Amino acid sequence: MDTIGPLLHGFAVALTPGNLLAVLLGTFIGTVIGVLPGLGPTASIALLLPVTIGMDMVPALIMLAGIYYGAMYGGSTTSILVNIPGEAASVVTCIDGYQMARQGRAGPALGMSAFGSFIGGTVSVVAVMLISPFLAEAALKFGPPEMFALLFFAFTCIGGLTGKSRARGLLMACLGLLLGTIGTDDIQGVDRFVFGTLYLRDGIGLVPLAMGLFGLGEIIYNIEQREETGSVLETPKNLLPTLKDWKDSAWPIARGSVLGFGIGILPGGMPAVASLLSYAVEKRVAKRPEEFGHGAIQGVAGPETANNAATAGGFVPLLTLGIPTNSVLALMLAAMMLHGVTPGPLLLLKWPDVFWGVIASMYIGNAMLLVLNLPMIGLFVQILKVPYGILSPLIIMFVLLGAYALNNSVTDVLATILFGLVGYLMKRNGLEPAPLVLAFVLGPMLENNLSKALIMSRTGSPLFFFSRPISGALLTCAILVLAFPLVRWGWRRATGRRPAPAGA
Amino acid sequence: MTVDRVLGVGAILVAIPVAVASWGFGVGSPKSPGAGFWPLLIVVAMAGLGLSLILHPSQAVPSAVTQDSRWGRLWIALGTMAVYVVTLDRLGFLVATTILLFVQLRWVESRTWRSSVWIAALTALVAFLLFRVLLKVPLPAGVIPLPRGW
Repeated sequence: MDTIGPLLHGFAVALTPGNLLAVLLGTFIGTVIGVLPGLGPTASIALLLPVTIGMDMVPALIMLAGIYYGAMYGGSTTSILVNIPGEAASVVTCIDGYQMARQGRAGPALGMSAFGSFIGGTVSVVAVMLISPFLAEAALKFGPPEMFALLFFAFTCIGGLTGKSRARGLLMACLGLLLGTIGTDDIQGVDRFVFGTLYLRDGIGLVPLAMGLFGLGEIIYNIEQREETGSVLETPKNLLPTLKDWKDSAWPIARGSVLGFGIGILPGGMPAVASLLSYAVEKRVAKRPEEFGHGAIQGVAGPETANNAATAGGFVPLLTLGIPTNSVLALMLAAMMLHGVTPGPLLLLKWPDVFWGVIASMYIGNAMLLVLNLPMIGLFVQILKVPYGILSPLIIMFVLLGAYALNNSVTDVLATILFGLVGYLMKRNGLEPAPLVLAFVLGPMLENNLSKALIMSRTGSPLFFFSRPISGALLTCAILVLAFPLVRWGWRRATGRRPAPAGA
Repeated sequence: MTVDRVLGVGAILVAIPVAVASWGFGVGSPKSPGAGFWPLLIVVAMAGLGLSLILHPSQAVPSAVTQDSRWGRLWIALGTMAVYVVTLDRLGFLVATTILLFVQLRWVESRTWRSSVWIAALTALVAFLLFRVLLKVPLPAGVIPLPRGW
């Protein structure tokens, strides 16, 4: 399939002044949000979703995408300078990045993570561009059984990848599915669990849910459990890595790009998983693994590359199949729906401007991040100096304002606060909100395709799914994912082996 | 009782009434599933997961709580948010938001009176101008009379 022509068209779309401004704004806001601890990309996209309603479709989506990969980029700054992850995907960057900063090498750490992010992001966008058209074409042939099997496979991966306990993750996911059934059901028109209220008939909004669980929940948690940090911040000088740094980082960056993209396109493949895995891989293949934890640049370059590559990779299933693989992409899906675009195999045919425009903007955005952000590191250091005591009320205000602005409804504000309380309780008890939110989005799609597939089958037998090659293969994968812990448990029992230490 | 057991019991307690309600929506048959079919499937899975959590709670999942709680501040923060919901339409965005920010800054974050007042008022004003005037989000004006066209 010809990709050059459409890509040039995409650049023509992305290079219009309005869209360039959208990329710039998105990446800048994203970076600032990434720098600020306690406000992740999920909350910030939820927050800015209402603002983009007034914008045109293409710049709106370009900006939201920019916020996402910008946040991945900014997260490393906080990890390296103050040893607090700016967002989840930068947790591992703290380990060696902060050590480098303590040895006076904050500059090269920041510089290398910026270059790594740029390379990983760009490699991944190239891969997105090359793979998506083929996947979209294949997906056009998918019927309800295939879609259901694919969604179910995605669903089984959520519980496994996002937390310490699978049973907990899956339970949260079930809760998300259940919340997704609230409202008038699409197929039969029956009101489910609305308790006689008009508000619930439209179903629970994704924005109040996500903003409450991710944004407000986090803030409330921080009000109750504040960790004071008294680190002295200085603007690092000389951001350029040395030749030796480059030599040490070249392979980690290459591996991080491939690994990140691979993780990114998988269901449940969050950037945080990619960076964690990259760190583990680098430590294992390193010639001197004992340097890890004491300022090894490989431990910064690999994970920071991988999380940006995963971020871009996540756009493949979203744009070609309409399936979000993490909660940020779920909000991107909601944003597209708000603008009347249905992500899925038809996106490429019906809205080529959206697809190629967003892809082209990601090339531009990655370059912009590199060119603009390295010189602006001083500004981010200043942002990090703003006391959390001022930031926290401001973030609360923005969350509530964002909730109101979506439908101009006070009920949405109330819902956000209630979900914030739930999010706080979940965080306090070590429960992950991500599976819940993702399942909430996948739920209606799952139900819809299941019903259609069952009606198609005429017999209602689950074996119907296995009579079709693609759905059968996908469901087999799903069953393997579900059964994996059992198999492992049985294996260990049979062989009497102890589990390997985590992170080894 | 561990968090896992509480979760397990909670899951089953939710599953039972939902299952009853789903039955009421009409479960149908696998050949032609009704509106209650899907919720029923979900709660069956939920009950199963709940049961497994009760029977096999994970040992010593470290609690996220690391230090002394600041309960007082938490309640003030939640209280002001509740008041905000009730007063937003009546008082309008500017007044309600200034109050929300002021209380949070002064009593949750323990800033001085002076800095709390001006940060609150200024932020509310800037947010109002940005969202209402620039981005045309119809934030409620409430008690403050606005110039035409705002």
